[in-house]
Amino acid sequence: MNDQPTPMHAPDLPGLSAYLDGELDAEERQRVAIHLAACPVCTGRLAELAALSTDLRALPEESLGFDLAGVIESRLAAAPRRTVARRRRDWWMGWPAAVGSAASIAAGVLMGSALVTGSAAAAPRMAAMRVFDTMPPGNLCVGLESCYVKGSVK
Amino acid sequence: MADDAESELIARAQEGDHRAFAALVRRYQDRVFRFILRLIGARDEAMDLTQETFMKAHQALPGWRPEAQFRTWLFRIAHNAALDVLRRRERIEFVSFADLPAGEEDHALPDPARQPDQRLADRQSIELLERTLQELPAEHREILLLRELEDMSYTEIAATLGIAEGTVKSRLARARSAAIAGYQRHSGDNRHE
Repeated sequence: MNDQPTPMHAPDLPGLSAYLDGELDAEERQRVAIHLAACPVCTGRLAELAALSTDLRALPEESLGFDLAGVIESRLAAAPRRTVARRRRDWWMGWPAAVGSAASIAAGVLMGSALVTGSAAAAPRMAAMRVFDTMPPGNLCVGLESCYVKGSVK
Repeated sequence: MADDAESELIARAQEGDHRAFAALVRRYQDRVFRFILRLIGARDEAMDLTQETFMKAHQALPGWRPEAQFRTWLFRIAHNAALDVLRRRERIEFVSFADLPAGEEDHALPDPARQPDQRLADRQSIELLERTLQELPAEHREILLLRELEDMSYTEIAATLGIAEGTVKSRLARARSAAIAGYQRHSGDNRHE
């Protein structure tokens, strides 16, 4: 902001706005005050900012119209909040469930890995039935070579 | 600024005292409501959002520390809740300050020298200013509300909006300039109607 206003002088709006709000430090404030004393453009602009501020502060004050605090209190009473202290107690109270869960998971992993590697899951030998032979099971076989094919039943 | 009584209420509310929290709500409910109402413009929605703000504040209360001002902390929650609504409505406008029309900063409120009680004495003037506010981008509107209606310092506004103090200074100046231009424009429209 110059102390000697020029014909094309553009007000330093952030500076004037902060001056209006009392947000400048002492040195800046003094500099702006000196400038304002000599600059009708900035003085006019500051008056506009001040007028806007006055108008906004004079707007009608809306109110909620009911006691929200009572509503909030009822809602909180209906759903009690877990406090920090409560959460601190809970961490060790949850141990049995945590141990149980871990054991279940470990057992599942063990069984699953045994299935994959095949070490504990050797399939039992199943007795095969010759249901598609020419002779039904149990019948007498007289002289037919097919009745005696080597290796047909192991 | 939190006084001793308020600090005591906050401490009790943090311990789970619902009545203490209700007392805090009672202290701030109208101010939070006014801020949200002027920000989003719809009364019913503002009432719901005010309630939601306090419920969120209650949930977050265990994390509140005395270093933070309760009022700025609460208004930050309200600000975030209101911005969510505005985003949902797709009404939020992020304008570049460089895009403002060149002439806007040179407009003036008509007859700024009038006395305050004369300036907004008639209903029409109030409506013009309300309309001007609603037409501002949300970030301009909220910073004006925090400064002029809540009387927050730049430090408090910066904490509420999560921006630097330097940004508060420049944004507030732009918001004021835009508001003056809008009001002048509407006043001109009315004169021609």
